[in-house]
Amino acid sequence: MDLKRITAGIVALTVHSTKKLLLSRKVVITFLVAAFVALVMGYAGTQGLDPLEDGTNLMDTLILFFFMPVMAMIYGSSLIRDEIDDMSITHVATAPLDRVYSYIGYYIPLVITVTVSVIVIATAGFLAFFTQHDIGAEAVEIYCEFAILIVLGSIVYSSLFLTISVVFKKPVFFGLFYAFIWEGMIGSLPGVIQKVSVKHYLRSIGSGWVDYGDMSGFEEATGFGDSVIVLVLLTVAFLVIGAYLFRNKELC
Amino acid sequence: MTMRERGTENLIVAESLGKWYGEVIGLNNFNLEIKPGITGIVGPNGSGKSTLFKLVLGLIRPNAGEITVFGKKPWRNSELHSLIGFCPDYESLPADSTGREYMSLIGHLHAMSGAVLSKRIDELSELVGMTDALDRKTGGYSKGMKQRMKIAGAMVHDPKLLILDEPLSGTDPLVRKDLIDLTKRMNKEHGHSIIVSSHVLFEIERMTHDVALIYKGRAVASGDISEIRDLIDKHPHNIIIEGEGMVALAKALLDEEYTVSVAFNEGKDSITIQVSRPDDFFGGLPTLMDVTGSSVKSMYSLDDNLEAIFKYLVGR
Repeated sequence: MDLKRITAGIVALTVHSTKKLLLSRKVVITFLVAAFVALVMGYAGTQGLDPLEDGTNLMDTLILFFFMPVMAMIYGSSLIRDEIDDMSITHVATAPLDRVYSYIGYYIPLVITVTVSVIVIATAGFLAFFTQHDIGAEAVEIYCEFAILIVLGSIVYSSLFLTISVVFKKPVFFGLFYAFIWEGMIGSLPGVIQKVSVKHYLRSIGSGWVDYGDMSGFEEATGFGDSVIVLVLLTVAFLVIGAYLFRNKELC
Repeated sequence: MTMRERGTENLIVAESLGKWYGEVIGLNNFNLEIKPGITGIVGPNGSGKSTLFKLVLGLIRPNAGEITVFGKKPWRNSELHSLIGFCPDYESLPADSTGREYMSLIGHLHAMSGAVLSKRIDELSELVGMTDALDRKTGGYSKGMKQRMKIAGAMVHDPKLLILDEPLSGTDPLVRKDLIDLTKRMNKEHGHSIIVSSHVLFEIERMTHDVALIYKGRAVASGDISEIRDLIDKHPHNIIIEGEGMVALAKALLDEEYTVSVAFNEGKDSITIQVSRPDDFFGGLPTLMDVTGSSVKSMYSLDDNLEAIFKYLVGR
């Protein structure tokens, strides 16, 4: 299979699926969550808290801790499954593109969509909180650091939830379990056990950058390099498993 | 079963092919060869037509036997898709895309782009009569328009083989005629080999004489429609005759070798006759009417439905 055809196929799928995801009804959820986060952080901003310390903690808790995996779950866990169920996957399944590449054509738009959604939510919260205070270079720095963590989180979580979308017939249920029980609960337990969550490694990376809030003093943090390696390995592993299963999946 | 021998290479060869979904059999010991041209696949709903197409496209994997398309096994062979265009029998158009966007996506997936793709889209939309609706969302299309757009989508990359799964299903008579004409034109003027399925034999007859009959997961007959017709004609036919002098006609018919049974329907002006050799019956009937002085107002076969024919072909 020639490179031109592969590239053209991946680009076509990326453009199509990105547009489809960003114009889907699920975008309403993004805006509702953004409004909720803005409301919470806006109210917190009026309470005379330490802007940098508490603002960072709010971003950590609301965005990285909670809505990051939830948004990835909402967009990712049913992406391929929905197309299998409504048969619109036919034009992909009958294209002269190995399904491994088609899978990448689903993964890239998912990363883009999750990133955009969570950035929108984070921006709404950030502006609602920090504009009530004197925004300095530190605040912008915090925003940028979280933006990078959001991109990293989107890359990892998208690979995970896309795999779920291929494996399960009712992926949303497993996605909910993972997002709330696994990441939400196990990822918050003290000690070594939290290291089985993606969130631990994201916060570990963040602890090396962010100078404020609880994240900066993250005692259980894994080293920066190790965290990056773990997340890269996780992403690759999920992509390989997902692509393999998708390639061998009967579509009927 | 009869096999066609036209001296041309087979597009599709299925040998002892089997596919089942749990306890449900899709295809069983299925043998078929399909050559270039238009081939009709005829069978009642649930006979295995769509399963066959999915196997041809490599969307599902056979449980037994082998299938080759253009000499290659289709499972996990995406490169074959550049030679095949598929129009499914179900809704597959993305409702939030326009016809042009849909065809563009398919073109891009086949590495087409720019002026070449735009020209192709314009040509095809004209061919299927969808030029005016090209920039409308497909969600607002009628059934016939959707069928046309799906056919156009299947042809974007100019495939050698077009698979049309029940393209006439759910369409009104005018659209049917258009689609039948379009199918013939695509073969005659554009050189596409076409496999078209239906559960109505006469619709397929209007498109092609090469037919394969599928019933309960098996290819029960294939070949020229006249060969199929011969097989069907050997099938004991149930015929209803209505008119005057039916008692005398019934007595005379009972003396004929080809008559299996005669039964009176309500009243004595209607009989149901079962014959083993329909040709002999139809040939001899005028003489019998003369001899018995009977007259026939109407006569029709009870075996117009394919189900009876399939049952006969399977059981023979």
